[in-house]
Amino acid sequence: MPPRISVLPAQLQQLVSKPVQAAFSPLSFLLPQLHQQSRHAHILASLSDTPGAYSKRIRRGRGPASGKGKTSGRGHKGQGQHGKVPANFNGGQTPEIIVHGERGFKNVLSVDMAPVNLDRIQEWIDQGRIDPTRPITVRELVQSRCIHQVKDGVKVLGRGGEGVLKQPIHLVVSRVSESAIAAIETAGGSVTTRYYTRSSIARILKRETHPFVSTAWDLKSGSEALYKAAGVEEELTESKIMQEMGFRYRLPDPTGRKDIEYYRDPAHRGYLSHLLKPMESPSLFFRSPAERKAATGSRKEKVLPENRLW
Amino acid sequence: MATESAGSTEYLTKTAPLADSAVADSLASRWDPSPVKATTYSFPSMEPLRFVEYPRNHLLMPLRKDILHRAVVYEGDKTRQGSASTKWRDDVHGSGRKLHQQKGTGKARVGDRKSPIRKGGGVAHGPHPRDFSSGLPRKIYDQAWRIALSYRYKRGQLIIIDDEIAMPGDATPHLLREIFKINRWGREFGRSTLITDRRDDDLFAAVEEVGEHARILDRDDVDVKDLLETGRLIVEKQALDRILAHHSKDLNSTPAKATY
Repeated sequence: MPPRISVLPAQLQQLVSKPVQAAFSPLSFLLPQLHQQSRHAHILASLSDTPGAYSKRIRRGRGPASGKGKTSGRGHKGQGQHGKVPANFNGGQTPEIIVHGERGFKNVLSVDMAPVNLDRIQEWIDQGRIDPTRPITVRELVQSRCIHQVKDGVKVLGRGGEGVLKQPIHLVVSRVSESAIAAIETAGGSVTTRYYTRSSIARILKRETHPFVSTAWDLKSGSEALYKAAGVEEELTESKIMQEMGFRYRLPDPTGRKDIEYYRDPAHRGYLSHLLKPMESPSLFFRSPAERKAATGSRKEKVLPENRLW
Repeated sequence: MATESAGSTEYLTKTAPLADSAVADSLASRWDPSPVKATTYSFPSMEPLRFVEYPRNHLLMPLRKDILHRAVVYEGDKTRQGSASTKWRDDVHGSGRKLHQQKGTGKARVGDRKSPIRKGGGVAHGPHPRDFSSGLPRKIYDQAWRIALSYRYKRGQLIIIDDEIAMPGDATPHLLREIFKINRWGREFGRSTLITDRRDDDLFAAVEEVGEHARILDRDDVDVKDLLETGRLIVEKQALDRILAHHSKDLNSTPAKATY
């Protein structure tokens, strides 16, 4: 049987062996090696990952020099030496969790917002990945990979300061920071915050829902520039938009008090802030000082003489 | 063999040692690596027809055995059925009746007849259906395809057929055997893998009859391991182009843009 691995590398062998094999010269017995048939050694047999990809098996109980010699890393005595002990097992004593109870809690009200900074949005605009003349919503931000893993919504932050935006932009997002509002409005843009849920964001990304128009969305919810950028005409109702654009699902509005209050607040540029009457508080529970004063009727202000301090 | 690596000598002459940054800059601006040239042949006459060009990152990738290894292991894991299944004592059909009383028989104490220590009982710690598949980043897997093809190309073991690999209608297995003998593609030369763009049942049946010399696969059926297995690849140009196009995700990395 000829050797499995050829003596010469394949490239050389091809150069050398071809004429010799073809000619079958009478002198071929002088060059027995070149006359060999080339058996193709498989590259498959020599494939291996880089040595660093493999970790060496720890050899336990093989003497003190190994570092895992005498007790093989299991310590002294007891069940732990022989098998497994449950993580919460306290040697038969009343378990810690029963003596002291569970600690901590899960905040059911917390939301997981995907943060995005204005300098990043500007970079995306500079690269031509986002069009600043169109509204920038969660859909555009995700599609252009400006944000990843949107869970409960998007919060816009103002890194870069007021001079970071080179052109006006029109944003509709879940939340926005004070500094970001200042930077966007200095650049002549607009920002509106609106309520999103996880499932509604998933539908927006699948183009099954309009990115911001819902039942509670009014023409006064967004700025004129936003509608102009979106190419929406005067009449803006959810049913009309859904019919025209072929959306299958409606966008939900908030039902929880905290959410309603956030989006009623003009300081957050909320989409429900147009519902506030003059001097009305965005809170559904507390009235604003002005409102409280109006409710109690016009009480006479106490006027002190000039020589009195109180 | 058929396709000698024409580009490799040019590659060596073009890379001059870089003296300083100015030279490097001028070189960088002039750096225009020539594409890889390969010959296409007609089948079965093996007449050279024309040169075709491929980008260097398609057919002149440096050999990376670690990437090939990861791809081959990934494919092996993915193709494991993982359907081995045994019955534990609860799953075995039968009664839970105690075979005989606990004391007084003089025999060892026993439970029911489904115990794993009895013949016909359940299997202790036996295999159950599971998924063996492991992951490999798409970009690495695509690279592995091109590395495997480049390895073949550089060794002159990539034979590109211009048109379809087809046999005359009345061809006998003898003719096919002769073709492999004349071209030195057969068993003595490490067998050959034929890759067609689509499955032609007659051709596949004919090639399978001379299975000691060749194996034949359609494009959908090819894996990285198949590219590395036999002595050479005899591949239809269209199949090669489609394989390369399908496995260059790591090259076409255009940034994501918002669509309106």
